Amino acid sequence: MTDPRPESDRTPTSNPVLRRALAWGVVLAGVVLVVSGILGLVFAGTEGLVSALVGTLMAVVFMGITAASILFANRFASSDLFVGAFFGIVLGGWLLKFIVFIALVVLLRDADWLNPTVLFLSLVAGVIASLVVDVLVVARSRLSYASDVELPKAPRDD
Amino acid sequence: MDATTVLAEINGNIATVGYGLAAIGPAIGVGIVVGKTIEGVARQPELAGRLQVLMWIGIAFTEALAFIGIATYFIFTS
Repeated sequence: MTDPRPESDRTPTSNPVLRRALAWGVVLAGVVLVVSGILGLVFAGTEGLVSALVGTLMAVVFMGITAASILFANRFASSDLFVGAFFGIVLGGWLLKFIVFIALVVLLRDADWLNPTVLFLSLVAGVIASLVVDVLVVARSRLSYASDVELPKAPRDD
Repeated sequence: MDATTVLAEINGNIATVGYGLAAIGPAIGVGIVVGKTIEGVARQPELAGRLQVLMWIGIAFTEALAFIGIATYFIFTS
């Protein structure tokens, strides 16, 4: 049965939180990018700089895909297939992300224009920074307990 | 031929086992997080938005370990 209400009614209330987390994630990624880039340049020269940029970008992009996939899946909130589509998109995205990540790691491992240690350290820094952003955004978000409540509709006379 | 060679010889890089563990741990973790979210939403659909946020942060923490575990490929040399 198709729900007659407009789509905006059924979009889960988690959307603003996820959007804010993505935005702050990009901001903090910029900070980590600059810091790790400078440290990489100091300790390993141009190779270190490039490795730091690649590592931070990988961390932020791959960590951000979860929030992005939930946001994308929420677009289908008014669909009858929402639950299936939601978990298909979020978990399918998760699986795809890890396959791409493993492939990237294998490809980049032997690249001679990269410094593996700097790459690993900046990737860890990026992952931790993105977790810090996630926790801060969730801790500051305010969602009411019954945010997605559906009130019974008024009876119609027809 | 000694007993180790006959019974328990292992060839290759032992780090491979680590990558397997780095995949299976978070997979179980994310499975539990998502399953419990489905349970929660089934009990109280009005909490869907809140539970989605909690699910997302649970997945983020679980997958962080997977990323770091798989990325150790960069520093562990055979």
